[in-house]
Amino acid sequence: MKGVLLKDLYIAKSNILVTVVSLVVLGFGLSFLLETSALLVLAPVASTTAVFISITSDAASKWNKNVITMPVSRGQIIGEKFVFYILLAVLGLVTALIPCLILGALGVDVTLHSLCLYGSIGISATLLAGGISLPCAYLFDPEKSQIVFMMSFMASTGIIVGIVLLTNLFLPVKENILLAFNIVLAISALWFFISYRVAVKVYQKRDII
Amino acid sequence: MTNAFTVSGLTKTYPDFVLDQVSFSVPSGSIVGLIGENGAGKSTTINAALGLIQKEAGQVSVLGREGLDGDTKEEIGVVFDGSNYPEILSPRKLDGVMRNIYRSWDETAYFRLLKQFSLPPDKPIKRFSKGMKMKLAISAALSHHSKLLILDEATSGLDPVIRDDILDMLLDFVQEEDHSILVSSHITSDLEKIADYIVFIHEGKVVFSKPKDELVEQYGIIKCGAAQFDALDKADIIVYRKMDYEWQVLVADREKMQKKYPKAMVVPATIDEIMLLYVKGEK
Repeated sequence: MKGVLLKDLYIAKSNILVTVVSLVVLGFGLSFLLETSALLVLAPVASTTAVFISITSDAASKWNKNVITMPVSRGQIIGEKFVFYILLAVLGLVTALIPCLILGALGVDVTLHSLCLYGSIGISATLLAGGISLPCAYLFDPEKSQIVFMMSFMASTGIIVGIVLLTNLFLPVKENILLAFNIVLAISALWFFISYRVAVKVYQKRDII
Repeated sequence: MTNAFTVSGLTKTYPDFVLDQVSFSVPSGSIVGLIGENGAGKSTTINAALGLIQKEAGQVSVLGREGLDGDTKEEIGVVFDGSNYPEILSPRKLDGVMRNIYRSWDETAYFRLLKQFSLPPDKPIKRFSKGMKMKLAISAALSHHSKLLILDEATSGLDPVIRDDILDMLLDFVQEEDHSILVSSHITSDLEKIADYIVFIHEGKVVFSKPKDELVEQYGIIKCGAAQFDALDKADIIVYRKMDYEWQVLVADREKMQKKYPKAMVVPATIDEIMLLYVKGEK
């Protein structure tokens, strides 16, 4: 899996660099308009686009066909994409923390509570969206999977709202907002794991031509 | 003689095509050419044998083992037509990737091959010519101590000089007695140069699997007129084709036929002609 991950890092290198620089610049820019830590909602989602660049590149270069003939199992191929997705999300989150911490040190109001809350929302949205779009990337052709990729972020927002409203039935969200979004995060993580298992099952039986 | 690669009863059904009970072997130490027109089922056979597509029936044995596990894949090198690797990579970056995929990756052998084929290690693959990309793919396939090479239309679209370089690489590889090659191609002249056996696939079925020398040295074509054709013993005819001014009849033993029909013109048959007669001729 290490070799396949390295290949994806090579492919996504320029995209990752652009994302990192953009997030840092955006972080400082946002501080004039709204709470800087809100960047943590956007950052993990934005940084995962590189996964779909690598999936499209794999199909275009026929790597997805070639790699099946190498000592890498289909399960490892899918597992690597999910690991790559999480790595990029974490990288996005860490990058977004840089302007937050710098501005916090300069006296701008950045609290641990807001960092945890927005970080939780950002990672939840990323895991939910990835749980929808990653299996679809192996079910549909590249054009359709790009549409699914974009729609998955809208869907994830809707799902988060739905989970929060459901949580509110037995836990007052306004008073326990961080706990409520941690519940959302736990459900999102479970969803992402189930999606991984489904993607592996789908890919085991898929013809690669 | 042991077989490096055996497929037996390989079957795959598509709405408009059926790969029907394909069986053949690649004996150890030999080069087997898989021939057939475009769409005959060569790539489908290779894809099904390599597990790229789900087969409905049949067995595949590679290097004495049933199926394709990780250990077996360590010992096979596969090269497909066109691009084989992400084009943003350079050969040096590809080395880093492959080193982490193959336990048996031999970096020294890889860079030696790059040098031998004048492939710049730091140039992105996207700036390589088609011939250079193919040489790189073969170099990578040879750099993890492969015992079996499988090439699917690897020489298609390459100029004769590059094709000749690649054929030399393949001949070099098979000098080791436990090295074997399965190469599919519709450029039969290439296979005439290097193959020990020819497997001919037509409409998803194996038409024949024979030693190349038998085909080239024994098979022949009787070129005759209508009267002479009528006089031929039908048991001697494998296939025939009516051309504008003559009949072409494929026979299995041209010397025997020359003696049997002294007035007939019996000429040697190239693999191309044999394939054409099978595809376009009648039985």
